[in-house]
Formats: sequence, structure tokens, C-alpha cells
Amino acid sequence: MRFAFATAALVALAAPAAAEPDLTGFWNLSFDTSEPPAEMLAELPPNTVLIRDTGVVEFPEDEYGGLALKPAALAHAQAWKPADEMTLSRVCLPPSIVYAIQGPFPFEVYQTPQLIVLRYEYFDQTRLVFMDGRGHPPADAPHSKMGHSIGHWDGDELVIDTTHLAPSTITNNGLDHSGSIHMVERYRLSPDGRRLMATQWFEDPEVLDNNGVRFIQWGKQDGRYVLPYECDPSFALEYQQAGEAGQ
Amino acid sequence: MRVRLALAIMTGACLAPLGAGAHHSFAVYFDPSKSVTITGKVTAFRFTNPHGMIALEVSDAGGRVTEWRAETNAPVVLVRRGWTREIIKPGATITIEGWASRDGRPYIRLRRALDANGKLIGSAPFGTTDAG
Repeated sequence: MRFAFATAALVALAAPAAAEPDLTGFWNLSFDTSEPPAEMLAELPPNTVLIRDTGVVEFPEDEYGGLALKPAALAHAQAWKPADEMTLSRVCLPPSIVYAIQGPFPFEVYQTPQLIVLRYEYFDQTRLVFMDGRGHPPADAPHSKMGHSIGHWDGDELVIDTTHLAPSTITNNGLDHSGSIHMVERYRLSPDGRRLMATQWFEDPEVLDNNGVRFIQWGKQDGRYVLPYECDPSFALEYQQAGEAGQ
Repeated sequence: MRVRLALAIMTGACLAPLGAGAHHSFAVYFDPSKSVTITGKVTAFRFTNPHGMIALEVSDAGGRVTEWRAETNAPVVLVRRGWTREIIKPGATITIEGWASRDGRPYIRLRRALDANGKLIGSAPFGTTDAG
């Protein structure tokens, strides 16, 4: 009897509340290039630019998609050289979730009322989203590439608020965010539950004079799972040797 | 060994590749409007993230040999297109089509690879409809 009660309690803890959408599953980037729903854009703060570098598109040098860089950030980005990244010490550094989320790699979602786990294939990253009402830690708490995420439901939308992100790239071409960046994502399911849509909004007053947002869509694929990534930095040596061969 | 090296300008829109597997940005390193085709003898094949890498010796019309490298999508992407660690072996002659490095080094991003019989390696090329 006691065992049955405990089992029932565990099941209740593991299952999302009936009123909340269930995002559980394997999600892979959708190449649907449709515009974001107007109501999702209407939820965004003013002075926000939609940057269109999701999935297929990546920006070349000196292109930042409408983000307004402060002078120091612009100077840093313009001084950046692609070859600087192709070194043993840098090529396997994972980017923060600010950039990592836009790429064509899948992720898995595990959902409970108290905690949502996002398991990303890209660089084997795992992200915890606390749904238990806690706040963010003090400002001087450790920062990481996944940051500290707290979430809540706003109707049918999952809202994730992330801080404590370690400095990393925004657009993978020399524009870096600071440790003060603040990111808010809003996720919603399509009516049939097969498509996941999100806006990824961020502000970083140390780096940007405006705010940015991406619109990203993923499709649900049953029976699949993320693969190990295990980055090998010796890849950078191949790039360097090709440079020597070309001289 | 019959070796061919050809450069051609193509319209980028239909062939613009993904940044799939990119720790680095495709757009920063490669020119999506410039296609390269090389044929040569494989000297090494690395099946590791963040990108796979094929090294091959390519001879020009004058017989001068240059070692080229072709960067692939991440192996996590390759395996979903039928590639394995053993699918390309040193000593094999293959043809690779891809996108040219912006800085002119003998380094390309692979769109598709063909074996010595002209058969596609893997189940599909890599391009605008790639998924992870």
C-alpha cells in the first residue's frame, strides 16, 4: 500500500500538469522560413530587432543583423579574425546558449512541474530550467555557458529567463556578449504538438544599444535521440596545415 | 591517378550550405557562391567533431601535388546521412564537391563526395535542407 502510494506520487511528480503543454521529446531544427506569429513579436520589449541568422543562415564578417553595437564591441568585432578561433585552445570551446540555440542541432526535453531539462547535442550541453519559483542567484554567483534559467508558464507559453551566462559569441563572427546578458525565451507548441516555436530575446547593455531576438522552429521526431559530440581540438591543426600548404 | 581540379562560380541561393556542425561560422570561412571540385587520393579521414576532415593529394595539370583538406559537417550530422568512420579509407581515390575557402587556402567545405566509380558516398549531399 505504501509502495503504491509512493509510486503514484512519483508519477504525479514526473507528469506535466494537465493544463500545461507537454514539450517532452526530441526536437530537430525546422527549415520552415515562415515569419514569426505577430502575437509572439507583440510580446517583445521595444527597441528589439529580429536577427535572421537561424539555422541555415550565418552572418559573414561585419554583419550583425541589425544589432547596434557599442563602440568597444564594434572595435572588438572588427579586430576579430576567423583564424583566431582555429587553434587548439579555442576550437572546442562551447559557445553559450545565446548562439548555440540557433544552430541546426537537435535537443531533447524532459519535463516535470518542478524542473525542465534541455539536453543539447551541440557540445553535449545540458541545461536545467527551474520551475519551482526560485529566483536567480546573486549577481556574483558563478557564470557558465548555459547560465542560470528559471521558468514559468504564461498560458500555453513556457517562459524561460536566463542570467549568469559566461561571455561568449552572439553571432559567431566576432560579436561577443558580456556576462551581464539577460535572455528571455518564449516557447509554444503548434496545435498538433509536432512543431515547437520560440522567440529568443536578449539584452546586453554593456555591448548593445538595442535588443535582439531570434525566431526559431523545431519539428518533433519520434524515436530519435541526441548523439555524443566529444569535440576533438586537433581539428584546428588540419586547418592550420592547410594554410601552410597554400603558401 | 587521374586528377581534376575545377573552379566554377555558381548561384549561391540554391546551394548555400548549412552551418551545420559549425563551431565556426560557414559564412565567415567559405564563399557560398564559389564551388570547387577536386579529385585525389585520400591520405587521411578524421571522423571527429566539430567537423570531419578528409585530406587528399590533388595534382594539377602540370603534375604538381597539393594536399587539400575537405571539412565535412559534424559527424553527428554525417551518421544521419549514412556515413561511418570507415566509409572513406586512405588510399582511395575520391571526388569532392564543395565550397571554396574565402582566404584561398586549399581547404573546402564538402557538399558531396563520390567514390572512384562515381557513386555518392552516404545517402544524400549536404545542402540547404540538411538537418542535424
